[in-house]
Amino acid sequence: MSVGVIILVVALIGGLYMAWMIGANDVANAMGTSVGSGALTLLAAIALAAVLEFAGAVLLGSSVTETISKGIVEISLFEATGPWGEDGPVLLALGMLCALLGSAVWLHLATHLGLPVSTTHSIVGAVVGVGVVSFGFRGVAWGEMGRIVASWVVSPVMGGLLAYLSFLAIRQGILRSADPIAATKRFAPYLVAVTTAVMVLSFIYKALKNRWEAPPVLLAVGAAAGVGVVVGVLAGAFLRNSTTARFTNPYDYVERMFALLQIATACFVAFAHGANDVANAVGPLAAVVSLYRTGYAEVATTVGVPFWILVLGGGGIVLGLATLGYKVIATIGREITEITPTRGFCAEFGAATTVLVASSLGLPISTTHTLVGGVIGVGFAQGIGALNLSMVRNIVRSWIATVPVAAGVSALLFVLARAIFL
Amino acid sequence: MRSIFGLFGKSPFGPLAQHTERVHDTVVLVRPLFEAFTAGDWDQTAEIYGRISKLEHKADLIKNDIRDHLPKSLFLPVDRGDILLFLREQDKIADAAEDLGVLVTMRRTPTPEPMKAGVLELVDSVVRTSEAWFEAARELPTLEEASFTGPEVDKILRLINEVADLEWEADKRQAEVSKRLFDHEAEIGPVSVMFWMNIFRVLGAVANHAENTADLLRVMLAKR
Repeated sequence: MSVGVIILVVALIGGLYMAWMIGANDVANAMGTSVGSGALTLLAAIALAAVLEFAGAVLLGSSVTETISKGIVEISLFEATGPWGEDGPVLLALGMLCALLGSAVWLHLATHLGLPVSTTHSIVGAVVGVGVVSFGFRGVAWGEMGRIVASWVVSPVMGGLLAYLSFLAIRQGILRSADPIAATKRFAPYLVAVTTAVMVLSFIYKALKNRWEAPPVLLAVGAAAGVGVVVGVLAGAFLRNSTTARFTNPYDYVERMFALLQIATACFVAFAHGANDVANAVGPLAAVVSLYRTGYAEVATTVGVPFWILVLGGGGIVLGLATLGYKVIATIGREITEITPTRGFCAEFGAATTVLVASSLGLPISTTHTLVGGVIGVGFAQGIGALNLSMVRNIVRSWIATVPVAAGVSALLFVLARAIFL
Repeated sequence: MRSIFGLFGKSPFGPLAQHTERVHDTVVLVRPLFEAFTAGDWDQTAEIYGRISKLEHKADLIKNDIRDHLPKSLFLPVDRGDILLFLREQDKIADAAEDLGVLVTMRRTPTPEPMKAGVLELVDSVVRTSEAWFEAARELPTLEEASFTGPEVDKILRLINEVADLEWEADKRQAEVSKRLFDHEAEIGPVSVMFWMNIFRVLGAVANHAENTADLLRVMLAKR
């Protein structure tokens, strides 16, 4: 077996490993709140997450991974005319392979420790490691790194602020009302309309961005508003016809209705996650596949992702969900009864909206980070019985550790691989 | 295996309501305790005291569990100190109920026939005060659902005012029945008189602690 084939096979394994870890570490975040609040059963959550993650990955997963490594490393330096000469393309393939393995190893460890880190930041860190080993510190686009560091602060703060405000709105509009049932019927359709509009916008800008480069702003906003109004009106009709007689505690009715909204946002988060994060696994893999096809002779700055690779990535995510993510969700379903659908909805809404805004600004933010911010935001709005602040400290530490640790692991693997293969 | 859901600590409000239930269980037995005691049925008195004592212990276990799960690193929708004060005061209701059991089983103190009705009226008055506290405190989980706002708060504030009114009534009855006790000084002797005074004082304490507990609930609600 030639070196080229070995690299390809190991890269395939690495890509699958990375996708597996993405499924294990992230997917619980999308569905966990719904299971915790009792809006979904464990089995229903797993089934929904599997279908939506896979659909998101395969249908909308990047058809083109632009600048393979998210603009972190100057790819042209790996060309046969670059500092490494003929070895350049093989080195790039090895680098992508090591980045996949390095970030997957860190994600595996983080999942094992129960730390919700960002898969995006993990692969970025791993690619930085490869870049530094190849070209020293000048090989890394530090401006892009600055944006990542900024996102550590921006994404949770914004997710938190939006979740805080939306819970205050529910508190004032529904919970404080003398008749929470009537207030839900009056007020919830507006929430449904706004949420739907955010989802549609997010769908256009985030999930479709790989297919549709620059959608006209007016058209996008118009479409989002239109769909939002239609769905809001339908929700209003549904709520007016809902039976309320069997609810002796009016808050039970409120939570029951919000459970539906929460399931919708959770499904959306799962779909968007599949569409976006599959690239973290299949992007580097596609780069290796493309290099293999040219006999490790040419370096392309943009690489098309074959359909079968997306299927592999989507399948890997589902595998991670079914093996490790499943356990996380099961734990949540058993232990966390503290979150109710109104609270879960606010946290997810804050996260989804932040993801929309940030990705249209081109900030490399993490769904996980915004969701953590969202939960804290709801807590600060007096929505959560007890918020564990010591856990916040652990989470923030793990966020900061992600880039250097993933970089370190992949750099180490890369140095070893280079010694073996070159 | 944890996840971002490690962010959620254990909410104290469900366990607080459980503690309320256990404490209420002890108060419920105060009336049967005094029926047996005033009738001179010492076996029955001892049996009921045993039950109160066990229930009080159960309440203690819940109290300790709540305290163990309320570290300073938790961010709560109400002041942590207020929760701990509330818990301590609520626990004192059960302590007072148990003290009553101890007192009535300590010595075979007779009840003068004309006093019986008055004593049981005082007991009922104290139990009524506690029932009003119970109605308010058991709403804590619903209050959490409502995010400490809206009609739930008004409902609980009404109940808290009721506790204060009932406690005031219980105080008056305690004073009356204590005064009448001295009419029977010669009949039952000074030791029994002093013993009864002690019993009345502890009966009053049950109502007092119920009122204080309700007041602490008011403090929790007022700080927003």
